[in-house]
Amino acid sequence: MAHAHAHAVKRRTGIMDWLTTVDHKKIGIMYLLAGGFFFLIGGLEAILIRLQLMFPQSDVVSAQFYNELITMHGTTMIFLAAMPIIFGFMNAIIPLQIGARDVAYPFVNALGFWTFFFGGLLLNISFIAGTVPDAGWTMYAPLSGTTYTEHHGTDYYVIGLQISGIGTLIGGINFLVTIINMRAPGMTFMRMPMFTWASFITSALILFAFPALTVGLAALMFDRIFNGNFFNPSAGGNVVLWEHIFWIFGHPEVYILILPAFGIISEVVSTFSRKRLFGYSSMVFATVLIGFLGFMVWAHHMFTTGLGAIANALFSIATMLIAVPTGIKIFNWLFTMWGGSIRFTVANMFAVGFVPTFVMGGVTGVMLAVAPADYQYHDTYFVVAHFHYVIVGGLVMGIFAGMHYWWPKMFGRMLSEKLGIWTFWMFYIGFHLTFFVQHFLGLLGMPRRIWQYLDGMGLNNLNFISTIGALMMGVGTIMFLINVVITMRKPKNLSNDPWEDGRTLEWTIPSPAPEYNFAQTPLVRGYDAWWHEKMEGNTKMTPVEPIGPIHMPSPSILPFFMAVGLFIAGFGFMYSKPADWGTTGLIIGAAGLLITFGCMALRSWFDDHGFHIEEEEILKDQGVKA
Amino acid sequence: MSSHSHVEGQLPHEPERATLEGRNKITGFWLFLGGETVLFGTLFAAYLTLRGQIMDGPAPNELFDFALVAVATALLLTSSLTSVFSMQAMHRHDVKGLIGWLLVTLVLGAAFLGVEIYEFNHYAHMGHTFSASAFSTSFYTLVGFHGAHVAFGLFWVILLLFQLKKRGLNTTTAPKVYLFSLYWHFIDVVWVFIFTVVYLMGKVG
Amino acid sequence: MAGHEQTTQRSDVKTTKQEGSKKHIIAFIFSILLTFIAFALVMAGEINIDFVYILLVVLAIVQVFVQMAFWMHMKDRGHTFAIIAILSGVIVVFTCVIMALFWTTW
Repeated sequence: MAHAHAHAVKRRTGIMDWLTTVDHKKIGIMYLLAGGFFFLIGGLEAILIRLQLMFPQSDVVSAQFYNELITMHGTTMIFLAAMPIIFGFMNAIIPLQIGARDVAYPFVNALGFWTFFFGGLLLNISFIAGTVPDAGWTMYAPLSGTTYTEHHGTDYYVIGLQISGIGTLIGGINFLVTIINMRAPGMTFMRMPMFTWASFITSALILFAFPALTVGLAALMFDRIFNGNFFNPSAGGNVVLWEHIFWIFGHPEVYILILPAFGIISEVVSTFSRKRLFGYSSMVFATVLIGFLGFMVWAHHMFTTGLGAIANALFSIATMLIAVPTGIKIFNWLFTMWGGSIRFTVANMFAVGFVPTFVMGGVTGVMLAVAPADYQYHDTYFVVAHFHYVIVGGLVMGIFAGMHYWWPKMFGRMLSEKLGIWTFWMFYIGFHLTFFVQHFLGLLGMPRRIWQYLDGMGLNNLNFISTIGALMMGVGTIMFLINVVITMRKPKNLSNDPWEDGRTLEWTIPSPAPEYNFAQTPLVRGYDAWWHEKMEGNTKMTPVEPIGPIHMPSPSILPFFMAVGLFIAGFGFMYSKPADWGTTGLIIGAAGLLITFGCMALRSWFDDHGFHIEEEEILKDQGVKA
Repeated sequence: MSSHSHVEGQLPHEPERATLEGRNKITGFWLFLGGETVLFGTLFAAYLTLRGQIMDGPAPNELFDFALVAVATALLLTSSLTSVFSMQAMHRHDVKGLIGWLLVTLVLGAAFLGVEIYEFNHYAHMGHTFSASAFSTSFYTLVGFHGAHVAFGLFWVILLLFQLKKRGLNTTTAPKVYLFSLYWHFIDVVWVFIFTVVYLMGKVG
Repeated sequence: MAGHEQTTQRSDVKTTKQEGSKKHIIAFIFSILLTFIAFALVMAGEINIDFVYILLVVLAIVQVFVQMAFWMHMKDRGHTFAIIAILSGVIVVFTCVIMALFWTTW
């Protein structure tokens, strides 16, 4: 393969390296950093909410600020913390797990990160601008419309999420194509590691759910900025339409979040039980089924809007059906552990802790699915407890498990297990203290999104306990951060397979992986490819090609500027009403779009020839590591 | 990534699939079109929900101009056919034919867009403005999203025509043109539903 | 990268079989015909509205099917994921979106 186009290796360093990188591993780290940053903001908002509710009728924050806190907490945690951290793992791990040198579209990958980041930035700049979204993370119309929200809060939400949504959508397509087209020889679909499978289905859900959100956000934006009437009842608009569109996106979103966590748990449990994942094919089947059913149940968020008995009954049943594939998964994890020689590393503690916690979230889910009962639970703390059990007890536990499990592979250093155990117990006990009691608060009748409650209603003690738990979770998170800082000072000296029980391809290459991942593309001869070789007494994978120069894509600053363009355009359009900047706003908006589309045209016009990493360099790398 | 792995001078029959990069693009673009299906589906749903809410504005059957819709449909349908011809020319490695048919597609698409702009202008004068009613808002959003797709396609094909002119047909330009043709067919397919659901059903009542 | 080996195999699969314009022109004429029938159906008036609605949608679906199969080559080999992608989109549209519509307008 031709050396005709071998260009001089052009490598940037320092900040420019990070701004221009198209390397999936670096982008993964950036996703983790940005997602972690937003996670801390969202966590701070949560702590403030809990401090306000610690005592009856307290005045820690004002009612308006409280509304802003609950809105931004929900939005930030879902769109800017949870999903990006998942994307971080997907970026860092999937190409390694399928034996690929990169993702299908490295450039688009970088673009996805930057659009997400600038969308999130736009959303959070609302705090500086002083007009924060305050209509709840669901932005129900007409509360979010111009009649009831005169300030720009909703606009920040609509435009910020629209921009970060573009990033998510193209990220999803990127991973779908990567998994479809870039697998190493022998890596058939039914040999793919469970995390890759889960990410594949998640990406498919993103692809088919996010366009609905795009339309919903666009409609709300048109209503607010261009005087449209989608959700304006006085001109024939329909407010329930927003709820439908939002939840058609919103319910698959729940599975977009939880499926990768399922994948992580599957990897961790199987590795540290030193056993093949029990019922692999049923696990795949269950994942696909959950993804499919995830689209059929959105109306269970809307039982009380008056859909009628037939609709409610249908959606009740469909919702309960999801418990079946989820149950399959739970039992598979239990049977994987059964008879295994289990090692309780921190990653595995989070994974094992996840299982009963998630079951509890699932059980309350089925309770909520019973439509008549839902009339009682609806909009109470019971619902808050339920979804925090699945999102924090499910997803965040999964994220922590993944962090501890893959940290050595991503950074070449092992997180401190000792400190990790403290993190786990602090977080785990704190979590249950916070949210377990909220079930009972809900059953006692405490409504969600409420700023104050009266003394003497029997809510004091439980709320107090809940706040203590939240503070413990905060301490647990800080412990994790300390652990990260300590670990960063350790030397990078890990072997390829630091857990020694690694099963999948990412454990066959150096930690951290070199720029080109695999010096030679490996041949996959079975499920759990690396374990398969180990069992046959091999110390390395069989390569399918000789060592030779490896073609790499060039770094580019264009993704960064394309996202900046969207960011500027968002600002312009947001303030383009005559009362604000008027035509100037429109001009700024158009200028922003021009930057974005201009960069797009530049990208199309100038071919990226990339560069080659030469044989000598690869051999040198190997000499050092081996 | 391996856009240059081909033996120079011997373009395969389907140059758009010759490289892994090209195949990745095609797979990804199909997935993107799957997402676009949901996007337009949601817009259709919003339109169908709100189309009865005409308030004081004109009703669909008073408003829609049959002749205009028929002309627009004919233009777009024909442009879809010409983009098929451009693909056939590409598979024959006939760069001149490829550029020619793409130019015809461009002209037809631009004409379609012109008709649509005239049509919107015409309706606005009849009191059917964006803010008139929920019907008008959802109508302009649905048809406007489609129009914006057409406009984007026109800029895209202009850019591609320049690239073909400068570099000719190779394994880098071929996938780009192929994706454009997929995109253009998809736009036509969406239009089939728009003229059926919006215009014809609107005319029926 | 990983796909080099396949590159050469793929390219000469069907080099001999040149595609003719005939089937595309037939698809075009068919599309025009279906469109014409749809327009004529509405112009004729005085027919049961529900019947016309159903017929119009059927005509649109048939036309789209023809165009996707022939012009977008979805009937050809190597389009498994194309079919999966579009079909999934259509399923989502019909289950979610149309059902949502049904309940909002009920």
